[in-house]
Amino acid sequence: MKLSRGVAVVGAGMTQFHHRIHADKASRELFVDAAFEAVDSVDNGVELDDIEALFVGNFSSDLFERQTHTAALMADWLGLNPKPSTRVEDACASSGVAVNMGVLAVASGAYDVVMVGGVEKMRNLSTEETTDTLAMAADGAYEVGAGFTFPGLYAALASAHFARYGSTWEQLAAITVKNHHNGALNPKAHFQSEIMETASKMGERQGLAFRDELEFLRSPLNPVVAYPLRLFDCCPVSDGAAAVILAAEDVARRFTDTPVHVRGIGQASDAMALHDRAELTALRATKLASSQAYKMAGVEAADIDVADVHDCFTIAEVLATEDLGFFPKGEGGKAAAEGRTALDGDRPVNPDGGLKAKGHPVGATGAAMAYEMFKQLRGEAGRHQVDGATTGLVQNVGASGATVVVQVYGR
Amino acid sequence: MTDMTVKAFNDFLRECKIMGSRCKGCGEVHLPPRPVCTECGSRDLEWVEVNGEGVLRAYTVISVPLTRLKDRIPYAVGVVRLDDGPSISGMVLGVTSGEKIAVGSRMRAEFVKEKERTTLCFRPA
Repeated sequence: MKLSRGVAVVGAGMTQFHHRIHADKASRELFVDAAFEAVDSVDNGVELDDIEALFVGNFSSDLFERQTHTAALMADWLGLNPKPSTRVEDACASSGVAVNMGVLAVASGAYDVVMVGGVEKMRNLSTEETTDTLAMAADGAYEVGAGFTFPGLYAALASAHFARYGSTWEQLAAITVKNHHNGALNPKAHFQSEIMETASKMGERQGLAFRDELEFLRSPLNPVVAYPLRLFDCCPVSDGAAAVILAAEDVARRFTDTPVHVRGIGQASDAMALHDRAELTALRATKLASSQAYKMAGVEAADIDVADVHDCFTIAEVLATEDLGFFPKGEGGKAAAEGRTALDGDRPVNPDGGLKAKGHPVGATGAAMAYEMFKQLRGEAGRHQVDGATTGLVQNVGASGATVVVQVYGR
Repeated sequence: MTDMTVKAFNDFLRECKIMGSRCKGCGEVHLPPRPVCTECGSRDLEWVEVNGEGVLRAYTVISVPLTRLKDRIPYAVGVVRLDDGPSISGMVLGVTSGEKIAVGSRMRAEFVKEKERTTLCFRPA
Protein backbone atom coordinates (compact mmCIF):
# COMPACT_ATOMS: atom_id res chain seq x y z
CA MET A 1 0.00 0.00 0.00
CA LYS A 2 1.26 3.45 -0.92
CA LEU A 3 -0.32 6.90 -0.54
CA SER A 4 -0.43 8.87 -3.75
CA ARG A 5 -0.26 12.13 -1.81
CA GLY A 6 1.27 12.95 1.57
CA VAL A 7 -0.95 13.81 4.53
CA ALA A 8 -0.16 15.66 7.77
CA VAL A 9 -1.85 16.49 11.05
CA VAL A 10 -2.09 20.29 11.44
CA GLY A 11 -4.27 20.55 14.53
CA ALA A 12 -5.56 18.43 17.41
CA GLY A 13 -7.87 18.77 20.38
CA MET A 14 -9.47 16.63 23.05
CA THR A 15 -11.64 16.96 26.11
CA GLN A 16 -10.38 15.57 29.35
CA PHE A 17 -11.55 11.97 29.63
CA HIS A 18 -13.56 11.46 32.80
CA HIS A 19 -16.36 9.56 34.51
CA ARG A 20 -18.02 12.52 36.22
CA ILE A 21 -17.10 15.98 34.95
CA HIS A 22 -19.04 15.52 31.70
CA ALA A 23 -22.20 14.31 33.43
CA ASP A 24 -24.23 17.25 32.07
CA LYS A 25 -22.94 16.92 28.52
CA ALA A 26 -24.08 14.77 25.60
CA SER A 27 -21.86 13.48 22.79
CA ARG A 28 -22.59 16.48 20.61
CA GLU A 29 -21.29 18.94 23.18
CA LEU A 30 -18.21 16.84 23.97
CA PHE A 31 -17.43 16.63 20.28
CA VAL A 32 -17.86 20.37 19.74
CA ASP A 33 -15.43 21.03 22.62
CA ALA A 34 -12.77 18.71 21.18
CA ALA A 35 -13.29 19.84 17.58
CA PHE A 36 -12.96 23.54 18.37
CA GLU A 37 -9.89 22.89 20.49
CA ALA A 38 -8.44 21.27 17.36
CA VAL A 39 -9.47 24.26 15.22
CA ASP A 40 -7.98 26.71 17.73
CA SER A 41 -4.74 24.68 17.90
CA VAL A 42 -3.88 25.36 14.26
CA ASP A 43 -0.86 27.71 14.35
CA ASN A 44 -1.80 29.92 11.40
CA GLY A 45 -5.53 29.44 11.85
CA VAL A 46 -8.08 27.38 9.96
CA GLU A 47 -11.61 28.36 9.01
CA LEU A 48 -14.41 25.89 9.52
CA ASP A 49 -15.09 26.44 5.84
CA ASP A 50 -11.64 24.99 5.00
CA ILE A 51 -12.75 21.61 6.39
CA GLU A 52 -14.23 19.66 3.52
CA ALA A 53 -15.39 16.48 5.24
CA LEU A 54 -15.84 14.95 8.68
CA PHE A 55 -15.16 11.38 9.83
CA VAL A 56 -16.41 10.42 13.30
CA GLY A 57 -15.52 7.27 15.20
CA ASN A 58 -18.25 6.15 17.57
CA PHE A 59 -18.91 2.72 19.02
CA SER A 60 -22.41 2.82 20.39
CA SER A 61 -24.18 6.10 20.94
CA ASP A 62 -27.04 3.78 19.89
CA LEU A 63 -27.19 2.12 23.28
CA PHE A 64 -25.33 4.65 25.44
CA GLU A 65 -27.51 7.58 24.38
CA ARG A 66 -30.27 6.12 22.20
CA GLN A 67 -28.88 8.18 19.35
CA THR A 68 -27.67 7.02 15.96
CA HIS A 69 -26.73 8.98 12.83
CA THR A 70 -23.94 10.31 15.01
CA ALA A 71 -21.67 11.87 12.36
CA ALA A 72 -24.44 13.99 10.86
CA LEU A 73 -25.37 15.21 14.31
CA MET A 74 -21.76 16.19 15.04
CA ALA A 75 -21.44 18.02 11.70
CA ASP A 76 -24.70 19.82 12.39
CA TRP A 77 -23.67 20.92 15.88
CA LEU A 78 -20.23 22.02 14.65
CA GLY A 79 -21.82 24.23 12.01
CA LEU A 80 -20.16 22.16 9.30
CA ASN A 81 -23.22 21.58 7.10
CA PRO A 82 -23.48 20.81 4.22
CA LYS A 83 -20.05 19.10 4.28
CA PRO A 84 -20.26 15.30 4.13
CA SER A 85 -20.00 13.48 7.44
CA THR A 86 -19.41 9.76 7.94
CA ARG A 87 -19.57 7.61 11.05
CA VAL A 88 -17.06 4.79 11.46
CA GLU A 89 -17.82 1.92 13.85
CA ASP A 90 -15.12 -0.67 14.46
CA ALA A 91 -15.63 -1.18 18.18
CA CYS A 92 -12.76 0.31 20.21
CA ALA A 93 -10.82 1.01 16.99
CA SER A 94 -13.58 3.23 15.58
CA SER A 95 -11.69 6.51 15.48
CA GLY A 96 -8.33 4.90 14.73
CA VAL A 97 -9.94 3.52 11.60
CA ALA A 98 -11.60 6.91 11.02
CA VAL A 99 -8.10 8.47 10.99
CA ASN A 100 -7.04 6.03 8.28
CA MET A 101 -10.24 6.82 6.33
CA GLY A 102 -9.48 10.52 6.61
CA VAL A 103 -5.88 9.98 5.49
CA LEU A 104 -7.06 7.95 2.49
CA ALA A 105 -9.68 10.57 1.61
CA VAL A 106 -7.04 13.31 1.51
CA ALA A 107 -4.44 11.10 -0.16
CA SER A 108 -6.96 10.31 -2.89
CA GLY A 109 -7.08 13.96 -3.85
CA ALA A 110 -10.82 14.23 -3.13
CA TYR A 111 -10.19 16.66 -0.26
CA ASP A 112 -7.34 18.90 0.90
CA VAL A 113 -8.48 19.25 4.52
CA VAL A 114 -10.67 16.99 6.66
CA MET A 115 -11.51 16.64 10.32
CA VAL A 116 -11.37 13.22 11.99
CA GLY A 117 -12.63 12.69 15.48
CA GLY A 118 -14.23 10.32 17.89
CA VAL A 119 -16.67 10.54 20.74
CA GLU A 120 -18.30 8.33 23.36
CA LYS A 121 -20.61 9.22 26.20
CA MET A 122 -20.63 6.03 28.26
CA ARG A 123 -21.60 6.95 31.78
CA ASN A 124 -25.37 6.93 31.29
CA LEU A 125 -25.66 3.18 31.91
CA SER A 126 -25.25 0.95 34.94
CA THR A 127 -22.15 -1.27 35.24
CA GLU A 128 -24.11 -4.31 34.06
CA GLU A 129 -25.65 -2.48 31.10
CA THR A 130 -22.19 -1.17 30.19
CA THR A 131 -20.77 -4.71 30.41
CA ASP A 132 -23.54 -5.94 28.08
CA THR A 133 -22.94 -3.07 25.63
CA LEU A 134 -19.16 -3.55 25.46
CA ALA A 135 -19.64 -7.30 25.01
CA MET A 136 -21.51 -6.52 21.77
CA ALA A 137 -18.09 -5.99 20.18
CA ALA A 138 -17.34 -9.71 20.61
CA ASP A 139 -19.02 -12.59 18.75
CA GLY A 140 -22.54 -12.36 20.14
CA ALA A 141 -23.68 -15.82 19.17
CA TYR A 142 -20.64 -17.83 20.18
CA GLU A 143 -18.58 -15.86 22.72
CA VAL A 144 -21.08 -13.70 24.60
CA GLY A 145 -23.54 -16.59 24.22
CA ALA A 146 -21.02 -18.79 26.03
CA GLY A 147 -20.74 -16.27 28.88
CA PHE A 148 -17.69 -14.22 27.92
CA THR A 149 -17.62 -10.59 28.95
CA PHE A 150 -15.23 -8.18 27.27
CA PRO A 151 -12.74 -8.18 30.19
CA GLY A 152 -13.18 -11.97 30.17
CA LEU A 153 -11.77 -12.24 26.63
CA TYR A 154 -8.59 -10.38 27.59
CA ALA A 155 -8.37 -12.39 30.80
CA ALA A 156 -8.44 -15.54 28.64
CA LEU A 157 -5.65 -14.12 26.45
CA ALA A 158 -3.70 -13.45 29.66
CA SER A 159 -4.18 -17.06 30.80
CA ALA A 160 -2.76 -18.32 27.49
CA HIS A 161 0.18 -15.89 27.63
CA PHE A 162 0.97 -16.78 31.25
CA ALA A 163 0.86 -20.50 30.44
CA ARG A 164 3.05 -20.29 27.34
CA TYR A 165 5.64 -17.72 28.40
CA GLY A 166 5.56 -17.76 32.18
CA SER A 167 4.55 -14.10 32.30
CA THR A 168 2.89 -13.05 35.55
CA TRP A 169 0.20 -10.87 37.02
CA GLU A 170 2.96 -8.97 38.88
CA GLN A 171 4.30 -7.89 35.49
CA LEU A 172 0.83 -6.62 34.59
CA ALA A 173 0.76 -4.71 37.88
CA ALA A 174 3.95 -2.93 36.78
CA ILE A 175 2.03 -1.64 33.75
CA THR A 176 -0.78 -0.40 36.00
CA VAL A 177 1.72 1.49 38.17
CA LYS A 178 3.58 2.93 35.15
CA ASN A 179 0.43 4.10 33.33
CA HIS A 180 -1.02 5.71 36.46
CA HIS A 181 2.31 7.48 36.95
CA ASN A 182 2.10 8.85 33.40
CA GLY A 183 -1.57 9.76 33.83
CA ALA A 184 -0.63 11.83 36.87
CA LEU A 185 1.45 14.00 34.52
CA ASN A 186 -1.35 14.45 31.96
CA PRO A 187 -4.02 17.12 32.57
CA LYS A 188 -6.34 15.38 30.05
CA ALA A 189 -6.23 12.03 31.87
CA HIS A 190 -9.19 10.41 33.61
CA PHE A 191 -6.99 9.33 36.55
CA GLN A 192 -4.31 11.81 37.53
CA SER A 193 -2.90 10.11 40.59
CA GLU A 194 -0.10 7.68 41.29
CA ILE A 195 -1.23 4.23 42.45
CA MET A 196 0.17 4.87 45.95
CA GLU A 197 -1.85 8.08 46.16
CA THR A 198 -4.97 6.12 45.17
CA ALA A 199 -4.03 3.38 47.64
CA SER A 200 -3.76 5.87 50.51
CA LYS A 201 -7.07 7.52 49.64
CA MET A 202 -8.99 4.27 49.22
CA GLY A 203 -7.22 2.70 52.22
CA GLU A 204 -8.02 5.64 54.49
CA ARG A 205 -11.76 5.16 53.98
CA GLN A 206 -11.42 1.50 55.03
CA GLY A 207 -8.89 2.09 57.82
CA LEU A 208 -6.18 0.29 55.82
CA ALA A 209 -2.60 1.27 55.04
CA PHE A 210 -0.40 -0.23 52.34
CA ARG A 211 3.39 -0.57 52.30
CA ASP A 212 3.69 -0.55 48.53
CA GLU A 213 1.79 -0.73 45.25
CA LEU A 214 1.72 -4.52 45.09
CA GLU A 215 0.24 -4.87 48.55
CA PHE A 216 -2.59 -2.54 47.53
CA LEU A 217 -3.09 -4.17 44.13
CA ARG A 218 -3.30 -7.63 45.77
CA SER A 219 -5.81 -6.41 48.36
CA PRO A 220 -9.61 -6.71 48.33
CA LEU A 221 -9.68 -3.02 47.36
CA ASN A 222 -8.59 -4.23 43.92
CA PRO A 223 -11.15 -6.99 43.32
CA VAL A 224 -10.97 -9.57 40.55
CA VAL A 225 -13.10 -8.62 37.54
CA ALA A 226 -12.20 -11.60 35.36
CA TYR A 227 -9.44 -13.86 36.71
CA PRO A 228 -6.52 -13.12 36.54
CA LEU A 229 -7.45 -9.49 35.78
CA ARG A 230 -8.40 -7.20 38.63
CA LEU A 231 -10.10 -3.81 38.62
CA PHE A 232 -6.82 -1.89 38.18
CA ASP A 233 -5.89 -4.07 35.21
CA CYS A 234 -8.90 -2.60 33.38
CA CYS A 235 -9.30 0.79 31.77
CA PRO A 236 -12.07 2.92 33.27
CA VAL A 237 -15.40 3.72 31.64
CA SER A 238 -15.03 7.31 30.48
CA ASP A 239 -16.81 10.09 28.64
CA GLY A 240 -14.83 12.13 26.14
CA ALA A 241 -14.06 13.25 22.63
CA ALA A 242 -11.00 13.97 20.49
CA ALA A 243 -10.43 15.43 17.03
CA VAL A 244 -7.58 16.09 14.62
CA ILE A 245 -7.36 18.13 11.43
CA LEU A 246 -5.64 16.44 8.49
CA ALA A 247 -4.29 18.35 5.51
CA ALA A 248 -2.57 17.36 2.29
CA GLU A 249 1.20 17.93 2.49
CA ASP A 250 1.00 20.42 -0.36
CA VAL A 251 -1.34 22.71 1.61
CA ALA A 252 -0.27 21.87 5.19
CA ARG A 253 2.27 24.72 5.40
CA ARG A 254 -0.59 27.19 4.99
CA PHE A 255 -1.76 26.08 8.42
CA THR A 256 1.46 25.45 10.35
CA ASP A 257 5.24 25.42 10.05
CA THR A 258 5.40 22.25 12.18
CA PRO A 259 2.93 19.72 10.79
CA VAL A 260 3.11 16.14 12.05
CA HIS A 261 3.43 13.87 9.03
CA VAL A 262 1.50 10.66 8.57
CA ARG A 263 4.39 8.42 7.49
CA GLY A 264 2.57 5.12 7.34
CA ILE A 265 -0.81 3.52 7.98
CA GLY A 266 -1.97 -0.06 8.30
CA GLN A 267 -5.10 -1.99 9.14
CA ALA A 268 -5.95 -5.67 9.42
CA SER A 269 -8.84 -7.90 10.46
CA ASP A 270 -8.78 -11.24 12.25
CA ALA A 271 -11.29 -13.87 13.35
CA MET A 272 -13.92 -12.24 15.53
CA ALA A 273 -13.93 -15.06 18.09
CA LEU A 274 -10.85 -16.11 20.04
CA HIS A 275 -11.71 -19.78 19.43
CA ASP A 276 -11.31 -19.25 15.67
CA ARG A 277 -7.71 -18.05 16.01
CA ALA A 278 -4.69 -20.32 15.69
CA GLU A 279 -2.78 -18.28 18.26
CA LEU A 280 -4.05 -16.85 21.56
CA THR A 281 -0.80 -15.32 22.78
CA ALA A 282 -0.60 -12.61 20.10
CA LEU A 283 -2.90 -10.41 18.05
CA ARG A 284 -2.16 -11.33 14.46
CA ALA A 285 -3.88 -8.19 13.19
CA THR A 286 -1.39 -6.06 15.16
CA LYS A 287 1.52 -7.79 13.45
CA LEU A 288 -0.04 -7.33 10.01
CA ALA A 289 -1.23 -3.73 10.47
CA SER A 290 2.10 -2.63 11.92
CA SER A 291 4.18 -4.31 9.23
CA GLN A 292 2.11 -2.43 6.61
CA ALA A 293 2.63 0.85 8.44
CA TYR A 294 6.36 0.28 9.02
CA LYS A 295 6.84 -0.58 5.36
CA MET A 296 4.98 2.49 4.12
CA ALA A 297 6.92 4.70 6.54
CA GLY A 298 10.24 3.03 5.72
CA VAL A 299 10.97 2.44 9.40
CA GLU A 300 11.40 -0.50 11.75
CA ALA A 301 10.11 -1.08 15.26
CA ALA A 302 13.49 0.05 16.61
CA ASP A 303 12.97 3.51 15.04
CA ILE A 304 9.84 4.28 17.09
CA ASP A 305 10.66 6.86 19.79
CA VAL A 306 7.22 6.96 21.40
CA ALA A 307 4.10 4.78 21.12
CA ASP A 308 0.50 4.95 22.19
CA VAL A 309 -0.83 1.38 22.29
CA HIS A 310 -4.26 -0.01 23.10
CA ASP A 311 -4.02 -1.04 26.76
CA CYS A 312 -7.73 -1.54 27.40
CA PHE A 313 -6.40 -4.16 29.84
CA THR A 314 -2.82 -4.42 31.09
CA ILE A 315 -2.28 -7.71 29.22
CA ALA A 316 -3.14 -5.86 25.99
CA GLU A 317 -0.08 -3.63 26.47
CA VAL A 318 2.09 -6.75 26.83
CA LEU A 319 0.66 -8.21 23.61
CA ALA A 320 1.03 -4.87 21.78
CA THR A 321 4.66 -4.27 22.69
CA GLU A 322 5.51 -7.80 21.52
CA ASP A 323 3.38 -7.86 18.37
CA LEU A 324 4.64 -4.42 17.30
CA GLY A 325 8.17 -5.80 17.53
CA PHE A 326 9.34 -3.64 20.44
CA PHE A 327 10.31 -6.75 22.43
CA PRO A 328 10.77 -10.44 21.60
CA LYS A 329 7.62 -12.57 21.92
CA GLY A 330 6.95 -13.48 25.53
CA GLU A 331 9.11 -10.70 26.97
CA GLY A 332 6.68 -7.75 26.98
CA GLY A 333 5.71 -8.24 30.61
CA LYS A 334 9.31 -8.61 31.72
CA ALA A 335 10.32 -5.47 29.79
CA ALA A 336 7.55 -3.48 31.49
CA ALA A 337 8.57 -4.75 34.92
CA GLU A 338 12.16 -3.68 34.16
CA GLY A 339 10.96 -0.13 33.45
CA ARG A 340 11.87 -0.21 29.78
CA THR A 341 8.45 1.21 28.72
CA ALA A 342 8.50 4.03 31.30
CA LEU A 343 8.74 7.68 30.24
CA ASP A 344 12.50 7.53 30.80
CA GLY A 345 12.89 3.96 29.55
CA ASP A 346 14.42 2.99 26.22
CA ARG A 347 10.95 2.23 24.69
CA PRO A 348 8.42 4.68 26.19
CA VAL A 349 4.87 3.35 25.81
CA ASN A 350 1.69 5.23 26.66
CA PRO A 351 3.31 8.39 28.01
CA ASP A 352 -0.19 9.90 28.30
CA GLY A 353 -1.26 7.19 30.77
CA GLY A 354 -2.74 4.92 28.11
CA LEU A 355 -6.34 3.76 28.15
CA LYS A 356 -5.59 2.52 31.67
CA ALA A 357 -5.17 5.98 33.22
CA LYS A 358 -6.05 8.44 30.46
CA GLY A 359 -9.40 6.71 30.06
CA HIS A 360 -11.20 4.98 27.21
CA PRO A 361 -14.32 6.61 25.83
CA VAL A 362 -14.36 3.82 23.26
CA GLY A 363 -15.01 5.70 20.03
CA ALA A 364 -12.72 8.61 20.96
CA THR A 365 -9.60 6.59 21.72
CA GLY A 366 -7.98 6.34 18.27
CA ALA A 367 -8.37 10.06 17.68
CA ALA A 368 -6.99 10.78 21.16
CA MET A 369 -3.92 8.69 20.28
CA ALA A 370 -3.42 10.83 17.15
CA TYR A 371 -3.81 13.92 19.38
CA GLU A 372 -1.07 12.58 21.66
CA MET A 373 1.34 12.01 18.76
CA PHE A 374 0.64 15.54 17.47
CA LYS A 375 1.67 16.88 20.88
CA GLN A 376 4.61 14.52 21.43
CA LEU A 377 6.24 15.03 18.03
CA ARG A 378 5.91 18.81 18.28
CA GLY A 379 7.47 18.71 21.75
CA GLU A 380 4.27 20.08 23.32
CA ALA A 381 3.30 17.19 25.61
CA GLY A 382 4.32 19.04 28.77
CA ARG A 383 5.20 16.97 31.82
CA HIS A 384 4.78 13.65 30.00
CA GLN A 385 6.91 14.66 26.99
CA VAL A 386 9.26 11.98 25.68
CA ASP A 387 12.44 13.97 25.11
CA GLY A 388 13.42 14.42 21.51
CA ALA A 389 10.74 12.12 20.03
CA THR A 390 10.64 12.44 16.24
CA THR A 391 8.90 9.19 15.23
CA GLY A 392 5.73 7.97 16.92
CA LEU A 393 3.35 5.05 16.56
CA VAL A 394 -0.32 4.52 17.37
CA GLN A 395 -1.92 1.08 17.74
CA ASN A 396 -5.71 1.02 18.20
CA VAL A 397 -7.49 -2.32 18.68
CA GLY A 398 -11.12 -3.21 18.05
CA ALA A 399 -12.48 -5.49 20.77
CA SER A 400 -10.24 -8.56 21.23
CA GLY A 401 -8.25 -7.91 18.07
CA ALA A 402 -10.59 -8.57 15.14
CA THR A 403 -9.67 -5.04 14.01
CA VAL A 404 -6.28 -3.41 14.48
CA VAL A 405 -5.23 -0.10 13.00
CA VAL A 406 -1.74 1.41 13.16
CA GLN A 407 -0.30 4.77 12.20
CA VAL A 408 3.32 5.88 12.13
CA TYR A 409 3.82 9.62 12.53
CA GLY A 410 6.94 11.69 12.00
CA ARG A 411 8.10 15.25 12.55
CA MET B 1 -28.04 -21.04 0.04
CA THR B 2 -26.19 -22.13 3.15
CA ASP B 3 -27.82 -24.04 5.96
CA MET B 4 -24.69 -23.65 8.11
CA THR B 5 -26.45 -21.19 10.40
CA VAL B 6 -26.21 -20.17 14.04
CA LYS B 7 -29.77 -21.42 14.42
CA ALA B 8 -28.94 -24.85 12.99
CA PHE B 9 -25.93 -25.16 15.34
CA ASN B 10 -28.13 -24.29 18.32
CA ASP B 11 -30.87 -26.68 17.17
CA PHE B 12 -28.34 -29.54 17.03
CA LEU B 13 -27.25 -28.72 20.61
CA ARG B 14 -30.81 -29.58 21.70
CA GLU B 15 -30.14 -33.07 20.35
CA CYS B 16 -26.86 -33.08 22.33
CA LYS B 17 -24.85 -32.92 19.11
CA ILE B 18 -21.91 -30.61 18.38
CA MET B 19 -22.12 -30.07 14.66
CA GLY B 20 -19.51 -28.26 12.57
CA SER B 21 -18.98 -27.84 8.88
CA ARG B 22 -16.32 -29.76 6.97
CA CYS B 23 -14.91 -28.33 3.77
CA LYS B 24 -15.31 -30.74 0.89
CA GLY B 25 -12.39 -29.04 -0.80
CA CYS B 26 -9.61 -29.16 1.79
CA GLY B 27 -11.15 -31.17 4.64
CA GLU B 28 -10.86 -28.38 7.25
CA VAL B 29 -13.45 -28.70 10.01
CA HIS B 30 -15.04 -25.45 11.17
CA LEU B 31 -16.71 -25.08 14.52
CA PRO B 32 -18.99 -23.24 14.88
CA PRO B 33 -20.12 -24.07 11.34
CA ARG B 34 -19.42 -21.52 8.61
CA PRO B 35 -20.75 -21.03 5.10
CA VAL B 36 -17.30 -20.35 3.62
CA CYS B 37 -14.07 -22.25 4.30
CA THR B 38 -11.54 -19.80 5.73
CA GLU B 39 -8.69 -22.12 4.74
CA CYS B 40 -9.35 -22.53 1.01
CA GLY B 41 -12.31 -20.28 0.20
CA SER B 42 -14.59 -23.13 -0.86
CA ARG B 43 -18.34 -22.71 -0.37
CA ASP B 44 -18.91 -26.43 -0.58
CA LEU B 45 -19.17 -27.66 3.00
CA GLU B 46 -20.99 -30.51 4.73
CA TRP B 47 -22.19 -31.11 8.27
CA VAL B 48 -19.94 -33.14 10.51
CA GLU B 49 -20.40 -34.17 14.14
CA VAL B 50 -17.52 -33.24 16.44
CA ASN B 51 -16.55 -35.13 19.58
CA GLY B 52 -16.97 -33.12 22.78
CA GLU B 53 -13.66 -33.93 24.48
CA GLY B 54 -10.70 -31.64 24.41
CA VAL B 55 -8.24 -29.44 26.20
CA LEU B 56 -8.51 -25.93 27.67
CA ARG B 57 -6.59 -23.32 25.60
CA ALA B 58 -7.53 -20.22 27.58
CA TYR B 59 -9.98 -19.35 30.34
CA THR B 60 -11.16 -16.90 32.94
CA VAL B 61 -13.38 -16.82 36.00
CA ILE B 62 -15.81 -13.94 35.77
CA SER B 63 -16.86 -11.85 38.76
CA VAL B 64 -18.36 -8.87 36.91
CA PRO B 65 -20.99 -10.57 34.76
CA LEU B 66 -23.33 -9.95 31.89
CA THR B 67 -26.80 -8.98 33.14
CA ARG B 68 -28.13 -12.34 31.98
CA LEU B 69 -25.64 -14.20 34.19
CA LYS B 70 -25.65 -12.02 37.29
CA ASP B 71 -26.98 -14.83 39.48
CA ARG B 72 -24.20 -17.19 38.34
CA ILE B 73 -21.01 -15.44 39.53
CA PRO B 74 -18.31 -16.41 39.90
CA TYR B 75 -18.39 -18.61 36.79
CA ALA B 76 -15.65 -19.92 34.52
CA VAL B 77 -15.65 -19.67 30.74
CA GLY B 78 -12.95 -20.82 28.36
CA VAL B 79 -11.79 -21.74 24.89
CA VAL B 80 -11.54 -25.50 24.40
CA ARG B 81 -9.64 -27.19 21.58
CA LEU B 82 -11.55 -30.37 20.81
CA ASP B 83 -9.60 -33.51 20.03
CA ASP B 84 -11.17 -33.48 16.54
CA GLY B 85 -9.32 -30.24 15.76
CA PRO B 86 -11.46 -27.12 16.05
CA SER B 87 -11.94 -24.91 19.12
CA ILE B 88 -15.07 -23.48 20.69
CA SER B 89 -16.01 -21.27 23.65
CA GLY B 90 -18.06 -22.52 26.54
CA MET B 91 -18.79 -22.12 30.22
CA VAL B 92 -16.72 -24.43 32.42
CA LEU B 93 -19.12 -25.91 34.96
CA GLY B 94 -18.25 -26.58 38.57
CA VAL B 95 -15.34 -24.12 38.64
CA THR B 96 -15.52 -20.96 40.71
CA SER B 97 -11.82 -20.26 41.24
CA GLY B 98 -9.09 -19.59 38.70
CA GLU B 99 -6.69 -21.92 40.49
CA LYS B 100 -8.94 -24.99 40.09
CA ILE B 101 -8.19 -25.41 36.39
CA ALA B 102 -5.28 -24.51 34.12
CA VAL B 103 -4.50 -24.07 30.46
CA GLY B 104 -4.05 -27.66 29.32
CA SER B 105 -6.78 -29.13 31.59
CA ARG B 106 -8.87 -31.88 29.96
CA MET B 107 -12.51 -30.92 29.31
CA ARG B 108 -15.67 -32.81 28.39
CA ALA B 109 -18.75 -31.22 26.76
CA GLU B 110 -22.02 -30.97 28.63
CA PHE B 111 -25.32 -29.84 27.15
CA VAL B 112 -27.22 -27.55 29.50
CA LYS B 113 -30.91 -27.05 28.84
CA GLU B 114 -32.13 -23.54 29.63
CA LYS B 115 -35.58 -22.03 29.10
CA GLU B 116 -35.31 -21.18 25.42
CA ARG B 117 -32.21 -23.02 24.27
CA THR B 118 -29.54 -25.57 25.03
CA THR B 119 -26.02 -24.26 25.59
CA LEU B 120 -22.72 -26.02 25.06
CA CYS B 121 -20.74 -26.10 28.30
CA PHE B 122 -17.74 -28.04 29.53
CA ARG B 123 -16.71 -29.75 32.74
CA PRO B 124 -13.19 -30.72 33.81
CA ALA B 125 -12.76 -34.37 32.76
